[in-house]
Amino acid sequence: MSDSALSTPQTPSFGRNTLLIAELSLREAVRKRLVIVLLVLTGAFVGFYLYGIFRLEGTLDQRAIDAGLDGRSISGLANAPIVYASAFGMYLVFFLGSLMAVLSTVGAVSADVENGVMQSVIARPVTRAALVLGRWLGFTIVNVSYIALVSAALLGGIYLITGFVPPAPLPAVGLILLAIVVITGLTVLGSTLFSTLANGIGVFVLYGVGFAGGILSTIGSFADSPTLVTLGKVANFVMPTNALWLGASYHLQNAAVLQLGEMARGANPIFGSEPIAVGLVLWACALAILAVLAAMWRFSRKDL
Amino acid sequence: MTQRPSSSLPAIETRELQKVYRGRAVVDGLTLTVQPGEVFGFLGPNGAGKSTTVKMLLGLVHPSGGEVRVLGGHPSDPAVRSRLGFLPEQFRFQTWMTAEEFLSFHGRLAGLRADELRARIPQVLETVGLGGRGAESLGGYSKGMLQRAGLAGAILARPQLVFLDEPTSALDPIGRVEVREIIEGLRAQGVAVFLNSHLLSEVEQVCDRVAFVKAGRVLRQGSMRELMGDVLPVGVRVDRLTPPLLEALARIGEVRHTDTQNADHADIELWVQRREDVPALANAVHAHGARLYALTPRRPDLETMFLELIEDTPEATSPRQEAAHV
Repeated sequence: MSDSALSTPQTPSFGRNTLLIAELSLREAVRKRLVIVLLVLTGAFVGFYLYGIFRLEGTLDQRAIDAGLDGRSISGLANAPIVYASAFGMYLVFFLGSLMAVLSTVGAVSADVENGVMQSVIARPVTRAALVLGRWLGFTIVNVSYIALVSAALLGGIYLITGFVPPAPLPAVGLILLAIVVITGLTVLGSTLFSTLANGIGVFVLYGVGFAGGILSTIGSFADSPTLVTLGKVANFVMPTNALWLGASYHLQNAAVLQLGEMARGANPIFGSEPIAVGLVLWACALAILAVLAAMWRFSRKDL
Repeated sequence: MTQRPSSSLPAIETRELQKVYRGRAVVDGLTLTVQPGEVFGFLGPNGAGKSTTVKMLLGLVHPSGGEVRVLGGHPSDPAVRSRLGFLPEQFRFQTWMTAEEFLSFHGRLAGLRADELRARIPQVLETVGLGGRGAESLGGYSKGMLQRAGLAGAILARPQLVFLDEPTSALDPIGRVEVREIIEGLRAQGVAVFLNSHLLSEVEQVCDRVAFVKAGRVLRQGSMRELMGDVLPVGVRVDRLTPPLLEALARIGEVRHTDTQNADHADIELWVQRREDVPALANAVHAHGARLYALTPRRPDLETMFLELIEDTPEATSPRQEAAHV
């Protein structure tokens, strides 16, 4: 019989299985229409926003002509509305991206456990650590590609309409993407610890902690209150995503707008007026890695 | 680590296996052996710890105590799991996949090569009666078709040991016969099958050996002949049952049950050891002046065994359970 002629299956390696699970997660995102819904809605959002900027550009040009000027300087204060508009646009990208990273990943492990899909998968020669790592990898690829694409669409569109390019767009987008990697890692960790619903709520609260930290720091430095500044630092340590955004926003503002911010002594919880500390970037990387390792460890010990 | 176990090595061996959830022992000192190539029936009432035991044998649940060896190794070792097949009781799979994609995914997880998969997937789909329907999405499958797809997944990677947890729960009578044929086919190929079922007639027809579990312990295990060959249930109906007659009957066989509700007659259920004990029962009835209305030797079946065993050991395990809390 042909059965006996075929070999016994070789146990696949950790790396191979990780990639296989990551591939499954990517296909799942495509097949469950996650990708298409995201692309359509994002197209609508970016189009809407860019149309606003297009009208803004027209208004500013008209004002320059009315004032009898030949044109506007791209780096001057006259262009500040465009700078703000692009920075706010990127803030929306960061916020929506964080939201979408949590929502897409919230059930990465728990949903499969809850609906019973996990049992037959775990009975295969795949280690649970490889499974968690593969899930994280797959969702990180989806989330990071998505935010990178939206960022490129928004900044590229603004450039085409107004000719404005932020001073350092790549570091800015890089910091936003790092925040997405951290959020995805923490959401995967939560997905091995809690039910899907509890995890979603938990990660949003964490996100809120980061945002609260940013506000406390801002008020603290504005009001010169060391206690508030310390509280803000603690919050940034617990959830560095908001600090990463503030660091990204620094790279999105040109010198003229940054000077405005400094004059206001940084009294702006949405835009940062100084670059992010290197230590905090390293900590964010470490946090993402620790979260995934903790998830791998936790899931390996769980009864299914 | 990946070498095939020698045929003398049991497919499954557990010693005093235990699982405690929040101070309650669900599996409480379970000891059983399954030989390679045999079809093993795992029987017990609801909540006896059957599914938890299967999960421990597959490495899904970590035992609280005791030993477990599957195919000569530990189920936490992926090399061991690559030689196992499993159809879960709740056969839920990724509904966005087609049956072929589902099998391809599981085959790749199990380490099958792409060319093997191309040959193997249509083969197993045909075996479980889903030939030609592999390109359909699992989301559109009926419950019975999903269970068949799960069965295809369980036998896909040529396992040496297959766990089937209530494999016919969603199937019609034709499907049940087909599953029995699949199990017999596996046995013919030397594959051990661990069948978790409470459809006793099904187990009776296909299993070489069975184990009865209750409250997480094996009450009895052995071949069908071993378990039932030494007992012959007999029903006796007499006009009236006097204590001396009952004593006389109890000397011949084991009185399992008496029914004196009816004014006209009394019924007695006995287990005797030998065929020759049946006429002896008639003699005893006559000797005590009672009139014999019926004397019915019955064919022993699993259901009798099951009911007797489960009813006979109501509280036997509770002291142990308490001990497990400490």
